[in-house]
Amino acid sequence: MDNSKFDTIIHAPNRLQICALLSPLEQVEFRVIREELGVSDSVLSKHIKQLEDSGYIKEKKSKVNGRARRWYHLTTKGRRAFELHVEELMRIVNSL
Amino acid sequence: MSNKQTHIKSKEAQEALDSIKKMKHAGLKRVLPTPKWLLAVLAILIGTQIALLGAEIRTFNTIIIVLILIMSIAIINKSQEAGVTEKALLSKRTIIICLICIIPIYFLAIISGQYLNNYYDYYWAPFSIGAFITIGIWSWVLSAHRSYLKRFNEEKN
Repeated sequence: MDNSKFDTIIHAPNRLQICALLSPLEQVEFRVIREELGVSDSVLSKHIKQLEDSGYIKEKKSKVNGRARRWYHLTTKGRRAFELHVEELMRIVNSL
Repeated sequence: MSNKQTHIKSKEAQEALDSIKKMKHAGLKRVLPTPKWLLAVLAILIGTQIALLGAEIRTFNTIIIVLILIMSIAIINKSQEAGVTEKALLSKRTIIICLICIIPIYFLAIISGQYLNNYYDYYWAPFSIGAFITIGIWSWVLSAHRSYLKRFNEEKN
């Protein structure tokens, strides 16, 4: 049975890139996500908030050399939703 | 199912998949594996400490413990500086079980060294155990490094 599911929250380009960046890793720092996406702090915060509100990612704060840092990771729900979304994209591509 | 799905074209889906692949690769590229020499030094220090304690030579014990702590902090700090943390290959439960097993192995190695040292000359028993532990840690480091490279190449392709 095909369980793939298109997710409109994830599909927005920036959010898709955030999920893709987080997917092979345990956690990623805010600074790294911003650098990889090439967006401003405010734009990134907006997308992160939407993903957090959906329960797809979670924030963890830590201090490195006395500086506060924000780390993000995909939740189990987020990881599953992202996998299903990728499956759906692949299904669309292969359906031709 | 969303209405958008019916409108999304194959080209858009392919672009999204390409962007996912690119970002996954970028993320993995950020993971800087801990330099092998740093881990080699740590393996040698642990092996030396076990060998010296097995031979009941306690003169350098404090210095070695301090050096092991410094090296461990340096390794953790380096991974924090990179801004990304690699996904653990083992589950949290397995890691906890491994850590619980390492402590008795550590003391068992020292006690075995001390026990065998009474039967053999020239400290060869504790130093052999120390060398064995060093080689064991180093082999584990190499295997972890290989699995990282394999995963990186798989994502790249």
